[in-house]
Amino acid sequence: MTAIFKREARSYFTSLIGYVVIGVMIALLGLYYSADCLIYATSDFSTVMYSTVIVLLFLLPALTMRSFADERRNKTDQLLLTSPVSISAIVMGKYFAQLAVFVVPMAVACVMPLILTAFGTVSLTSAYATILAYFLLGAACISIGTFISVLTENQIIAYIATVGVLLVCYLMNGIKSLFTSGNTLAFIVFCVVLAVAAVLTGLACKNVTVGSAVFCGGAVVLILLFKLRPTWLLNGFNSVLDALALFDPFVDFVGGVFSISGIVYYLSVIVLFLFLTCQALERRRWH
Amino acid sequence: MIEVNHLTKQYGKIKAVDDISFTVEDGCIYGLLGPNGAGKSTTMNMLTGYLAPTSGTVRINGHDIQEEPKEAKACIGYLPEIPPLYTDMTVQEYLLFVAELKGVKKKADRLTDVEQAVACTGLEPMRKRLIRNLSKGYRQRVGIAAALLGNPKVIILDEPTVGLDPAQMIEMRTLIHDLGRTHTVILSSHILSEVQTICDRVLIIAHGKVAAQGTPEELAAHLAARGVISATAQGTKEAVLAAASSVEGLNDIHVTAEKADEVSFTASSTSGEDLRAALSRALAEAGCPVLSLSSDTMSLEDVFLQITESDPAAQQEPTEQEESAVPEQLPEQDDTSPVTGDEDKKEGE
Repeated sequence: MTAIFKREARSYFTSLIGYVVIGVMIALLGLYYSADCLIYATSDFSTVMYSTVIVLLFLLPALTMRSFADERRNKTDQLLLTSPVSISAIVMGKYFAQLAVFVVPMAVACVMPLILTAFGTVSLTSAYATILAYFLLGAACISIGTFISVLTENQIIAYIATVGVLLVCYLMNGIKSLFTSGNTLAFIVFCVVLAVAAVLTGLACKNVTVGSAVFCGGAVVLILLFKLRPTWLLNGFNSVLDALALFDPFVDFVGGVFSISGIVYYLSVIVLFLFLTCQALERRRWH
Repeated sequence: MIEVNHLTKQYGKIKAVDDISFTVEDGCIYGLLGPNGAGKSTTMNMLTGYLAPTSGTVRINGHDIQEEPKEAKACIGYLPEIPPLYTDMTVQEYLLFVAELKGVKKKADRLTDVEQAVACTGLEPMRKRLIRNLSKGYRQRVGIAAALLGNPKVIILDEPTVGLDPAQMIEMRTLIHDLGRTHTVILSSHILSEVQTICDRVLIIAHGKVAAQGTPEELAAHLAARGVISATAQGTKEAVLAAASSVEGLNDIHVTAEKADEVSFTASSTSGEDLRAALSRALAEAGCPVLSLSSDTMSLEDVFLQITESDPAAQQEPTEQEESAVPEQLPEQDDTSPVTGDEDKKEGE
């Protein structure tokens, strides 16, 4: 794992992409820092982080797009996968290398609130909690990007798909408000999700009967729920949308709440997507 | 020691590799021979654990590649068809990285390992160069040097001489020959002369199946016995031909030259036996002294062409000659669908 980590980290800094990501990130942090904290003299550093969160959407996919897509394109994955290294070690090595690049602007951000203390009282705990949440949010974005990168061998596709997914997560609050009225919409959306799931199951098992059975079984459950407990359906739907709102827990931190559940949420997203990455990589050996 | 048992890889409906079994003893140079798209690369990818077989097992030094991948992979140095090089690294950096990847723990050990591999492959002048700037031949050497790192017992080379110039090709063959003294080597190739000169044993793959296996001499000899006999005997044309046709199993007699009282002719045997002795006896009994008698030996090239040209799709009317030339190991081919190149399949995933 260390070998892969070292190589990846070095390659980010020999190919310029690492410098670009770090440079743009620090420039934008610096811009908002000078505007909010230095010119308007706010002591609340978390607003800087809040304003720059959208940068993650566009910058981190640039970091993750190449991680596996490039290996596959250049066939260097053959070296990694035929070496006496486990698949999880490969994924972790690459993931930590990306984190190492992301840590640099975060370290710079850590210095910023300290400078503010020279001018007055600053809530350092709140500032550092926000930076921690920001870092975890970024780490979650990177794990999602890594997973998308393993699915394709084209970096551009990986970049666009990752930005798209992160954008949907970012806008999830707005999307959610579209769905609050009426249970019928929730029912329809669940039916579509079920149909997609059934088709995927059918394809995975290469069996039409299994797919149809999944769809019929799911449809019966959905119809029963819709008739008997319509509110369950809506609540269930909303909690699914909540889970997809990747940026929400971070906003809690900006508001000054140190939410343990937020941290657990980010850690679970990271673990889930790294696990899926391993699975996707393993699955490719069978096709 | 590598044991491959009933290895099969299926892409959708196409069987890229169909029930291949073979064993490679320690210290042997084993050649996989076959035309493009025969399933050589797919087989090698399964041997090294890059692809998982649809069915069948691969054991490297007693470790199953599926069940104990780490132990099995530690025994293998692999050079794939396209050397897996990171072009943004220098040769030295790349080799040190691979050594670490292969599990060489101490930095000093890695340095000596790289030192040896570099010396072995003649990369000394290129050490500080970026891989991006190297020529095809040198890239291939870097790939081989990487395969040597970590001192694996088995070295698997997929078409190691493709893209090299003739001088480099000879160098590469010498290198592989030297490697064979200390390692077990499996190499694939579609170049016959290469396999014939380097390998101790050859496995011919056609359409994903084992078409023949044995030493290069065995393969050639096996077919030579069935091949064509050319002879010259003294006597009248009629007497000679009568004597020759009296030999059982000998047919297809053609007179090639006639001068004074010498008759030259060729004949072929279909039964598989070497009929030179019987022919000579028959001619002597008929009172026609044999002046010369030889069996036209087939080169591995002929064997290869005959075996691999019997494309199940294209082979509408197999001639008797072709059929007789195919050894017994050749499985029935009527159930195979035509196999396209394995590169096509990879793209079609």
